[in-house]
Amino acid sequence: MTDSAKSNLPGTGGDDDVSLIERVLGGDRRAFEPLVRRHERHVFRVTLAVLGNIEDAEEAMQDTFVKAFRHLDQFRQESRFTTWLTRIAVNEALQKRQAGKEFVSLDDSRDVPERAEEQFAPRRYEAWRADPEKLYGKQELRRIIEAAIQSLPLIYREAFVLRDIEEMSAEEAAEAIGITVGALKSRLLRARLMMREILAVSLEHPPTAAQKLMHTAQDMGMAIAMRMMKAAGK
Amino acid sequence: MAMMDCKQVLANLSDYVDGAVSNQVRKALEEHIARCRRCRVVLDTTRRTLSLVLDIEPFEVPLAVSARLYTRLQEVLSGDRGVS
Repeated sequence: MTDSAKSNLPGTGGDDDVSLIERVLGGDRRAFEPLVRRHERHVFRVTLAVLGNIEDAEEAMQDTFVKAFRHLDQFRQESRFTTWLTRIAVNEALQKRQAGKEFVSLDDSRDVPERAEEQFAPRRYEAWRADPEKLYGKQELRRIIEAAIQSLPLIYREAFVLRDIEEMSAEEAAEAIGITVGALKSRLLRARLMMREILAVSLEHPPTAAQKLMHTAQDMGMAIAMRMMKAAGK
Repeated sequence: MAMMDCKQVLANLSDYVDGAVSNQVRKALEEHIARCRRCRVVLDTTRRTLSLVLDIEPFEVPLAVSARLYTRLQEVLSGDRGVS
């Protein structure tokens, strides 16, 4: 598939990103807002993956878009806009992380053995008994999964978020983080195995009937709240 | 390719799930998991983990966070010197 053909695929952000960028560079600043809307969630997930809390992730997300706007003319279109933006987001988040602490713990070190899989062996070999999506309400399942992702050490969390949530290619994710593809793949393998173990533990004890009822009520409450906010134009 | 052991299966698991292994590796891995229950469970639950994570779409941007982002951008877009 040619690059131009690939950039026309839905969700790849190809031609539309480029045309919006050209409009901004041509002086139409309003074109920056739709560009932000397209990538807002992606950047938030990246900064949250690195920083681990919403307050810092929000600030890093804002700084990312401000920096992207001010340096938009430096985007060379050699890589996708998403990759360029992700690199800024990772750097902004890392700077914020470094500024917020005096020492870097071993857990946070970005220096990781390339063959990380040698240090992590599965401990659980039980098949999942039932479909988690049938056992839990959507909000509860989201909470369990988000907590599992947040519990991963930084280097594994960022690899996992870029590859398995944002669905970036291994090459794009490696470029955005600034590591080799081999290192990215090692981290991803370990991240996936860790996620599998964490979820197996979290999902081991299915909710009781009363808890399921509560989860359903929470989901309904969330859906109603979303509908009311939409109706109110917020 | 010679028979794979569990450690080799684990080392290739991620690439296999991504469909990024050679036919030779794929065949050797599938031959192993056909007779190794433990590796079969690890592969199946890893796939289910990834599918679950994708389906659930974690980490929505909170509405207030989004609103503050656009407020800040409005300030920057209207007052900034612009693209350097």
